[in-house]
Amino acid sequence: MEYSIRAASVEDCKDIRRLIGELAEYEKVADEVTITQRDLERDGFSENPFFHCIIAEVPEQHKTKEGDHTKIGYATYFYNYNTWCGRAIYMGDLYVMSEFRGKGIGRALMSKVAQLGRAAGCRQLNFTVMDWNKSARDFYLRQGCVDITANTGKHFMRCEGEALEHLAQP
Amino acid sequence: TMEYSIRAASVEDCKDIRRLIGELAEYEKVADEVTITQRDLERDGFSENPFFHCIIAEFYTAFPPHPTKKGYATYFYNYNTWCGRAIYMGDLYVMSEFRGKGIGRALMSKVAQLGRAAGCRQLNFTVMDWNKSARDFYLRQGCVDITANTGKHFMRCEGEALEHLAQP
Repeated sequence: MEYSIRAASVEDCKDIRRLIGELAEYEKVADEVTITQRDLERDGFSENPFFHCIIAEVPEQHKTKEGDHTKIGYATYFYNYNTWCGRAIYMGDLYVMSEFRGKGIGRALMSKVAQLGRAAGCRQLNFTVMDWNKSARDFYLRQGCVDITANTGKHFMRCEGEALEHLAQP
Repeated sequence: TMEYSIRAASVEDCKDIRRLIGELAEYEKVADEVTITQRDLERDGFSENPFFHCIIAEFYTAFPPHPTKKGYATYFYNYNTWCGRAIYMGDLYVMSEFRGKGIGRALMSKVAQLGRAAGCRQLNFTVMDWNKSARDFYLRQGCVDITANTGKHFMRCEGEALEHLAQP
């Protein structure tokens, strides 16, 4: 099947919001998503963006049965820093619509993030996966990724809501 | 009394930041993994489009009067496609003789304030599960262990595997 991987533009935000919703549903947390198309336009496509996005697109003849969509996968990424070794690229989301899986599109998206990271001088590509998501974990391990949490005990932590408000008081 | 202030780091602080990074790495028992240089920090933190930002805890000794840098935190902006803008705290470190005085909390609080100012809904970071005193400190601030609660695992691709992945 033909497909292309390209940088997203502001006009893609409606589809990006749709795909984000599908990924959230896949991860069983669809009711947690409060982001809007407008948020994505402002945060991804104005000066000093908070994130970048790449899209996987198929030609018209392969569009989805439901909804006639040609934008069938995406990845988000942004730059991080590891004070041990320097520049790093962080892949936030990676998602391909179910009827287009198993065709190498997920790997192509992740590969593009790796290329972009390399171009920017990044030594690491970091991301997270849910431990119950066996097919995703297996996919990542096949690419030679390492489970830092399993190997070193690194835990991902978060402060939000009231606790964050309280912490922000001097 | 020991007075201190929390301020934004500037390029002249990079020698001290490199020193403090080395101390944090030693505390985490991985000092031999640190390859970063003062020059890297200057370029990556203090030129246009920085990869990270840094705040310093600076003390003022009375005799002789000069500032000394005893703690730091690094941070950068991330994005959570569920809820939007997030701030990520990379490192948080206070030299051992200055712990237990609220300086770590003051540094973390400053990161939270900066995140809030930038419209961030979350402050994200990591901690090693064996680091009980750090974990307890974070839980006291009302932080949540996302890995323990939801099974989220931190993953990495680097070295040869990253080279291979970057081939189209």
